[in-house]
Amino acid sequence: MDLIQQAWPEFLVGVGNTLIYCVVSFPLALLLGLVLALMADARFIWLKAPARTFIEIVRGTPIIAQLFIIYYALGAILAAYNLVFLINTWSAGIAVLALNYAAYEAEVFRAGFLSVDRGQTEAAYSLGLTAGQNFFHIVLPQAIPLMIPPFVNDFIYMLKDSAIVSVIGGGELTSVLTAWVTRHGSNPIPLYALAIVLYLVLSLPTSYVARRFERRLRAAL
Amino acid sequence: MSDIYESRAEGSMIDKPVAKGALTREKMKARSRGRLASLDYLFYVVAAVAIFAFIYYLYAFRQLGRLYLPVFLQGTLTTLVISLVSIVLATCFGFIGALGRLARFAPVRWLAITYVEVVRGTPVLVQLLLWYYGVGFVLSSIGFDPYSAAFQLMTALQNNSLVPDAFNGYFYGILGLSFNYGAYLTEVFRSGIETVDKGQTEAGLSLGLNSRQIMRHIVLPQAIRITIPPFTNYFITLIQDSALLSVLSLIELEHVTYALALPQINANNKMFVFILGALFYLLLCYPLSLLARYFEKRMAVAY
Repeated sequence: MDLIQQAWPEFLVGVGNTLIYCVVSFPLALLLGLVLALMADARFIWLKAPARTFIEIVRGTPIIAQLFIIYYALGAILAAYNLVFLINTWSAGIAVLALNYAAYEAEVFRAGFLSVDRGQTEAAYSLGLTAGQNFFHIVLPQAIPLMIPPFVNDFIYMLKDSAIVSVIGGGELTSVLTAWVTRHGSNPIPLYALAIVLYLVLSLPTSYVARRFERRLRAAL
Repeated sequence: MSDIYESRAEGSMIDKPVAKGALTREKMKARSRGRLASLDYLFYVVAAVAIFAFIYYLYAFRQLGRLYLPVFLQGTLTTLVISLVSIVLATCFGFIGALGRLARFAPVRWLAITYVEVVRGTPVLVQLLLWYYGVGFVLSSIGFDPYSAAFQLMTALQNNSLVPDAFNGYFYGILGLSFNYGAYLTEVFRSGIETVDKGQTEAGLSLGLNSRQIMRHIVLPQAIRITIPPFTNYFITLIQDSALLSVLSLIELEHVTYALALPQINANNKMFVFILGALFYLLLCYPLSLLARYFEKRMAVAY
């Protein structure tokens, strides 16, 4: 108990940093994912092929490998151009979370757009709407409610995956945890319990809200 | 004359007579389509050049590549073996978990739900650290050490040199990874069993089968078909998450990659070694993801 009381304030700072990583990365991932989804569904191959290649590469490699590439390898290359200030644990962590999740969000966006009935688009065209008007006024408003549950799920995944930033010492909850475990090697179990409870406090309410929303949505459809 | 009708059919809102030879929407579209098509051909040229550039990039670092290739292959093999062992164990955990989730006895159900929620609510990395440093610490203080146990067992079998020095890492790493994925597979199996139409069970009951026969001959064969695509997807993520075991000093692909890359002084060499490691992961995962997509397509056709 004494140990937990000592560790408590620093762990809360770690929770705050975890949240900062996710709250910054997730909107970036959504934005990039939307662009990727539109590119991947385009008929123009100059847009389609680069987007698909990016998605396949990101989804085919571990996030920790991507983190090392950005933090160590890109950092070393940028250091040769005196640009090393661009890469620190914060920028590398946010970049890797945003880029990695963009590929997954792109698939969510695509599935959402596909689930909107094609007849809606045809009706919009027959009313004389342009492709842009059709997308923003017909398809997107209908697709967004369907996409919210997977987005919330992916946000929870991101909360958990942000733990990987601790391998470069990102300062989030798992970094604080490993630092405390090395400092208090005698009995690490209470520290792990504290970290696990904090992660559960972050993720369980979110998933509960997501599940309720999903049930209401399914009832409405 | 025909131009006018065409432009109306195209949906132009303004009724304007169109002069002969003027650019109608249809013609403009056709022209831009032609331009786009030639741009498409140009794309294949650029793509081919890009692929050749990448091959040349690999070729330019051939000395480094030739030097490290055996180590990388060894690491890939280790990753593959770890992943296969873990997915088998995870399937066992997941099957037990799914049976628990569907049990009629409420405390068993609560236990299974707690397992699933706690594991799915916490990061894999924290779980792996907990198994290795936490559970390992507690068990060794009781007097159980996986390394010495395996060493004694293999000594009895006359070849204890097969036991790696980092055996504790392998033991707790594989256990942690499969415990984690067991929770995800629990949900996969449960939803697979629940998606099988209730009428099937009722039909089985009316034919006089008992509940075990119904599970074995009616529900499971259908449920397994449903669970194959998500199972394959989880296997892909398991291979990727096995990279986290490098933190427990297991000599697998990611560990090999950064152990070879970090001492590189030349930044380009460092980038090359990291990219080579990622490429091996891509070689492992991309065929599997194609396979998963094939299964998904076949499932969509079957129903």
